Amino acid sequence: MPSTRPSGSERWWLPWLAPTLTLAAGLIFWGAGEQFLAGAAVGLSALGFYGVHSLRARLAQAEAARQLMDERLLTTQKLAAIGELAAGISHEINNPLAIIRQEAEWLEELLKGARFQDQAQLLEFRESLQEIILAVERAREVTGKVLELARERQPVIQKLDLNRLLEDMARLVEHEARKKNIVIERRFALDLPPVESDGPLLRQAVLNLLTNAYQAIEDRGTITLTSSWAGPDHVKIAIRDTGVGIPPEMLDKIFLPFFTTKPPGTGTGLGLAITQTIIHRLGGTLSVASQPKHGTTFTIVLPLSWEPQEQRA
Amino acid sequence: MERFKVLVVDDEDDFRETIVKRLKGRNLDATGVASGEEALKTMAQENFDVVVLDVRMPGMDGIEALKEMKKRWPLTEVIMLTGHASVESGIQGMQLGAFDYVMKPVPLDELLDKMRQAYERKKIQEGKF
Ligand SMILES: Nc1ncnc2c1ncn2[C@@H]1O[C@H](COP(=O)(O)OP(=O)(O)O)[C@@H](O)[C@H]1O
Ligand SMILES: [Mg+2]
Repeated sequence: MPSTRPSGSERWWLPWLAPTLTLAAGLIFWGAGEQFLAGAAVGLSALGFYGVHSLRARLAQAEAARQLMDERLLTTQKLAAIGELAAGISHEINNPLAIIRQEAEWLEELLKGARFQDQAQLLEFRESLQEIILAVERAREVTGKVLELARERQPVIQKLDLNRLLEDMARLVEHEARKKNIVIERRFALDLPPVESDGPLLRQAVLNLLTNAYQAIEDRGTITLTSSWAGPDHVKIAIRDTGVGIPPEMLDKIFLPFFTTKPPGTGTGLGLAITQTIIHRLGGTLSVASQPKHGTTFTIVLPLSWEPQEQRA
Repeated sequence: MERFKVLVVDDEDDFRETIVKRLKGRNLDATGVASGEEALKTMAQENFDVVVLDVRMPGMDGIEALKEMKKRWPLTEVIMLTGHASVESGIQGMQLGAFDYVMKPVPLDELLDKMRQAYERKKIQEGKF
């Protein structure tokens, strides 16, 4: 039986066979914590140093893993709570926004019949109303995005030609990218089978990532769009840019709703939050790797076939 | 694939008339209108499966028309067509529930393929209700 274990655990099995006492002590006082284990290590070091040593290492490892999991779970729960709150607020704000817009439009109507002594005054009135309407539209765009984030839309699953989808989205961005001397390189695996997924949702996700990529490049650079296999029943989409990159301490913040480093009007900080929600809904994962000043890669991994998920983590 | 109903909304007469004619040639039930306002009026009278909608039109623009369509006929699938790519309006369109966002010129076969997929999606959605 031990021989079938992977080689990394050899040190664990060696003392198991010889000084059984070490293991027994380790197991009995497992709950007493590390301090006791440290004592046991000293006391029994002659008999089974290796055993205790590796037990401690394993305990520490398990503890670290548990903490990481707790943090992730907490983040997910926190995000869900924030999302719900934001959606509630957005919904409430949408109604007064609609009224402001309606009334501003009504004032525009009234203005047509109004008489002003001074023509310049009339113009100013009009411009001011236009500004109000524009601002309302911007606010509605934000509330719309927040609501989108919270909406639990069930994906509609169809068989998709992944490369076709990527090519379409690349072309959409290419025009604007060219103005900044950005080249979009395609590296598509040509042997990919159709992917069972939701086309409109996936397009939205890819478009968000491509937009971030080309915004990250100031002038001159390359975006590399890759499709490939990821194991026997998954596919991978990678979007790599040669842009500014993301500092390591910022990496865990970029997926938060409203986190943005872009000036108002350019960024709302919702792109990655929406993208991550979409990819999870599609049963996939979204990850990021970045090197400041050199560039960033976002990677989507998707299952080839989709099954409805009972619960979402 | 069975025959389904398509509405083509584009203010460019040449483009619209040609595409409607060619879609009819492919055995689709295709109708053309020149503006967003007209499209909404037509859709209030007849049911369409798929709408092909130009983004830039005088009067009500494509994004506004899309908003209204998805509000009133959420199951009808809308493919947005655009002459000059605007990433911003593409994102907006996809977020508002467009099925796809396609750059002009698009080969007819490609567009037809997208229409079929959009129609299939509508059928799947209808099956759920
Ligand atoms: N490809 C990228 N390169 C560098 N930074 C990025 C990239 N993608 C995202 N970011 C960072 O993450 C932040 C959040 O992105 P996102 O959620 O899309 O919102 P927005 O683009 O509106 O700022 C950005 O403001 C930027 O700081
Ligand atoms: Mg973004």
